[in-house]
Amino acid sequence: MNRITIALWNPIVSKEYRSRMRTWRSPLAMTVYILLLGGVGWAIFSSTAATARNSFNGAQAANYGQVLFLWLILFQMVLLAFITPALTSGAVSSERERQTIDLLFVTKLPAFSILWGKLLASMSFVILLLLLSVPIFSLVFLFGGIELDQVLIAFLVTAVAALTLGIIGLACSTAFKRTLPATVSAYGAAFVLLAGSLLFGLLFPTDINPNATRAPAPPAVTYLSPILPLVVIGTNGPINGYGIRNGGNYLTQGGGMACSSGPNGVQSCYMTTVPIGKGFVGQPPQPSGTTIPSGLFSGWQYWQATITMQLAIALVALILSALLLPPIRQLPWRRRARGVG
Amino acid sequence: MITVEGLTKIYGNRTALDNVSFEVPKGEIFGFVGPNGAGKTTTLRILAALLEPTSGRALVDGADVIEHPDLVHERLGYMPDFFGVYDQLTAGEYLDFYAACYRLPKARRKKIADDLLELVGLSDRRDQAVDTLSRGLKQRLCLARALVHDPAVLLLDEPASGLDPRARVEMREILKELQTMGKTIVISSHILPELTELCTMIGIIDQGRMRATGPVHDVIRQLTAGRRLRITVLGQKEEAAAVLKPLSAIHEVVMVNGTIEAQYDGDDAAAAGILQTLIAAGIKVSGFSQLEGGLEDAFMKATSEDI
Repeated sequence: MNRITIALWNPIVSKEYRSRMRTWRSPLAMTVYILLLGGVGWAIFSSTAATARNSFNGAQAANYGQVLFLWLILFQMVLLAFITPALTSGAVSSERERQTIDLLFVTKLPAFSILWGKLLASMSFVILLLLLSVPIFSLVFLFGGIELDQVLIAFLVTAVAALTLGIIGLACSTAFKRTLPATVSAYGAAFVLLAGSLLFGLLFPTDINPNATRAPAPPAVTYLSPILPLVVIGTNGPINGYGIRNGGNYLTQGGGMACSSGPNGVQSCYMTTVPIGKGFVGQPPQPSGTTIPSGLFSGWQYWQATITMQLAIALVALILSALLLPPIRQLPWRRRARGVG
Repeated sequence: MITVEGLTKIYGNRTALDNVSFEVPKGEIFGFVGPNGAGKTTTLRILAALLEPTSGRALVDGADVIEHPDLVHERLGYMPDFFGVYDQLTAGEYLDFYAACYRLPKARRKKIADDLLELVGLSDRRDQAVDTLSRGLKQRLCLARALVHDPAVLLLDEPASGLDPRARVEMREILKELQTMGKTIVISSHILPELTELCTMIGIIDQGRMRATGPVHDVIRQLTAGRRLRITVLGQKEEAAAVLKPLSAIHEVVMVNGTIEAQYDGDDAAAAGILQTLIAAGIKVSGFSQLEGGLEDAFMKATSEDI
């Protein structure tokens, strides 16, 4: 058996599937997930239908499709941010609490395989939830305005964000002996990743340089949040007025998402902020397109920057977990100290 | 098969193990006894490569527990004192899961699970959920789990704790069968009479220090040095004690349940001399026998004073 087969062949995955799918909790979670997502889709659809009762044309239909997609994908992201930490934050700590972890450690499974198996089993459930949501998302295509590649990229961003949250949950589960503190810290990390990075953009925005030839972009930290690329993908347009300030004196706060009608009846949606304080307001170049106009990830798509940063965090969290988990840590510097070649 | 050299484990200010050393040759059953908190579980966890010692080393079948924990895990089966089971798995699936964790091929796993369930008497529970089994049955299943990869060494931490007398007898029978299969077994227990019957070697540990170790009868002889006589007399206990105490061979004379127990040095001739002296003093002796020291005596002696 080669190394790749050994790494992938993991009895923990099948054991976890068996345990998970034999309880009533999994079908219930899937049902609630579909009902919530479907409920939001239905609510948006109903309000759109009420608005469009008197005047409805093709361009408006495309815009309604865009709005429906944006709300659905953002709501799905928030739902997964609640579900994924719960799936992984007890993965290792519950084994400790149940006094089964030693029995795993004395087998031939390396510690990394235990982590990998737990992660794969949890992420499979997340993938299952994402697949279950596909029929709901297909409603968007009734209206148009969203291309298949947008849906695929949005799902990729959502899946990678869920994976990152899952690995962070796993790291918390490895670091803490008890499930409760592990779960609390996993949810804290999820909040920081989703909302904290966005808040950072509001509190510490990029200063606009009036002489710059490129449009300003929000600080790179804000790309950690999957919300930003999902908005860009959903609106198929640039981020306007978020995470930037003029000359260092122009502060912004609050805000959200706003949509406005264009001359041909097409609506465009964008992130907004409310300006506060006084200062010089210049006329910097305006961002256009869906790429990051300047900064560390200049020229990248927002989703590419987000995925790269999240995967880097996930990798670090996974390495930390693999180092923390074994009962006897074979750290290279400790081996050297013991005089082992 | 097992070598422990100068094992020390310190938790903060507390020394759990203090320079513990012992050896268990292949095929022996080593009884590890000591009061609660003596360091038995710590020693077994170090041997199972689940805990790092502060100093010293431990080898299982030649593999160092720190340098080659993977080899150690291949060669030993470990049964902890407290353990949990997974929900939603049957006994057969439970063993199959651990067999898979030991990377045994799928084709062999079913037969191994069936054989082990038969060995521990759980064949009829193959399809029962493991979390619904009684404690005794879980103990047996855990023993079967420790055997899935056919290890040469078994570490059993209090395998009989919490079991009723019948389950204990059944567990003992299983261990005897494993002994005949050539396994080297280290077993920690509080049930001393059972250990005397089962074990070929013994180690007595107290407050993290190994008080005595070696073949069972050697340890008992070593710790219960001086032989004991049980003497029954007809109503003249005080007089008999007064005759015995001045004798140079006698160390101690005590009254136990209406009989006299006297500890003495010497061989059978010395015992005969003591009897003659009593009779010559006019004591009417109705019973005179030698008492064999037991593991319990050895244990009490080893754990009640520094050696």
